[in-house]
Amino acid sequence: MKKYMLVAKNTWSEMLTYRLNFVMWRVRTVFQFLTVYFLWLAVLPEKARIGDYTQALMLTYILGTSLISSIVFSTRTIDIGEEINEGNLSNFLLRPVNFFLYFVARDAGDKAMNISFAIFELTILFLILKPPFFLQTDLLFILFFIIAIFFAFIMYFFVSVLLGFIGFWSPEVWGPRFIFFILISFFAGGLFPLDILPKTVFKVFELLPFFYFLYFPLKIYLGQVATSQVLVGFLVSSFWVFILYKTVQMVWIKGLRVYTAVGR
Amino acid sequence: MSVISVSNLSKHYEIHKKEPGIAGSLKSLFARKYETIKAVENISFEINEGELVGFIGPNGAGKTTTLKCLSGLLYPTKGRISVLGLTPFDRKKEFLKQISLIMGQKNQLWWDLPAIDTFLLNKEIYEIPNNQYKKILDELSILLEVTDLIKVPVKKLSLGERMKMELIAALLHSPKVLFLDEPTIGLDVVMQKKLREFIREYNKRYKATIILTSHYMGDVEELCKRVIVINSGKIIFDGTISNLVKQYAPYKLITVLFKEYVDPKKISDLGIVKRFVYPQLVLHVKNDKVNDVASDILKNFSVDDLTIEDPQIEDVIREVFHKSNSQ
Repeated sequence: MKKYMLVAKNTWSEMLTYRLNFVMWRVRTVFQFLTVYFLWLAVLPEKARIGDYTQALMLTYILGTSLISSIVFSTRTIDIGEEINEGNLSNFLLRPVNFFLYFVARDAGDKAMNISFAIFELTILFLILKPPFFLQTDLLFILFFIIAIFFAFIMYFFVSVLLGFIGFWSPEVWGPRFIFFILISFFAGGLFPLDILPKTVFKVFELLPFFYFLYFPLKIYLGQVATSQVLVGFLVSSFWVFILYKTVQMVWIKGLRVYTAVGR
Repeated sequence: MSVISVSNLSKHYEIHKKEPGIAGSLKSLFARKYETIKAVENISFEINEGELVGFIGPNGAGKTTTLKCLSGLLYPTKGRISVLGLTPFDRKKEFLKQISLIMGQKNQLWWDLPAIDTFLLNKEIYEIPNNQYKKILDELSILLEVTDLIKVPVKKLSLGERMKMELIAALLHSPKVLFLDEPTIGLDVVMQKKLREFIREYNKRYKATIILTSHYMGDVEELCKRVIVINSGKIIFDGTISNLVKQYAPYKLITVLFKEYVDPKKISDLGIVKRFVYPQLVLHVKNDKVNDVASDILKNFSVDDLTIEDPQIEDVIREVFHKSNSQ
């Protein structure tokens, strides 16, 4: 296990080599956050409601998605396609190391760094702006929320790995990924809360894995999902985790057979 | 006991061809032409424990493809491979812990971090005990003269220095089987020699089985008793270097320094004249005639100096490829 700890640690040190880069990245995130915040604050008058959403709930939702997506959607697995195409995958295949755990470790290092900065920044912003945010105080919901985020991370990780595996068959790995980025912000509820949609459409969305990337964890945070529904959601998530895991494994085995270790 | 056994190995690639320019790109978007490249075609060989074998062939001959199959990176199209009794493509832990593939241009080092961070990671990955790790790291970094450099970020190192770090990273776990693909690439002459010495020493000390490919015939000539010559995916020679020379270049080089001017006509029937710029003459002479020709020269001309040598290994190899291509 220690080897994967080291991978995470190396990822930290790597990020710290480009200190300015990292600081700029965080500044960008903060600015993005502020822009969205002030925009919606201006659009939504204090007493306004959209569907079931009060101003505070809507603001929390919109800003919550940007926070959660920066945690869930930031992953080192976007490099996998290029690693395959450039033949760097060989470095993993030649050593007794689990390719997937290696990337999980890299993600863990990356996310740990980003989350700790985000918490620090958010605390400061909260103290300055005193926004009308909804704060969940029920520990059970916070626990559910954390579990849901964890599920989201695993599912997104697998999906992203699968997109990277396109590299086994084609050098064009970025096209599909960009389309996916666009689709996902819609299907996962990154643009607006999904329950604004018609009931039937919503029911279909509920069965897709994307539903559980952003929308589901946030709704749990907002305390708008009944415990029984939370459990159903976890069940559906587990199902998708299983399906995705099996698919990743199958594609990995097939991909390695056509892998050409080019360039090296 | 044979450590590496390869029987009827073939590896074919599908590649798609594209015509140049935008028109070509557009065309290949709709109608893609695929072509099967037979990188390796039906090769077999056995290598015993502790052998140091040279793999020779022109660019694209299939050397690297073979090494990649042997180290488990590529899935063979046909044939059976066994290394240390295991099938490489299964990439079992016990297999990976005993082998290493070193390629002149491979990069397993973390670019932004000092090499020592990669070494420490490999220590964990290969589960190398502390004292062994320290011992080998010290030994290697002193030998390769990089003691002061292991804490410098890799991106700040020169090509040669990086190559040395790659070598250390790949040898920390003392592999029993080593595949070296162009290991001396990017190293200066002094370092090339040192590295050769190191490879020989490593081979002896650990009884390691080593396959080496190199463009520098010097590497192969100095290190390997046995060579496997491969061209267009097929083995065209497998045996000792001296046999290779005997088979493909059954002649010696006689170099003569004349004392006084000699009529070029008188020389031509001695053997094949390779070069004659007075006062130096270089002759190709068949092995069984060497003695006669040499004594002839000494008898009939006034000579300052005369040497008899084996042909340059480079020339022999050129001959081998020339013959196999024209067949």
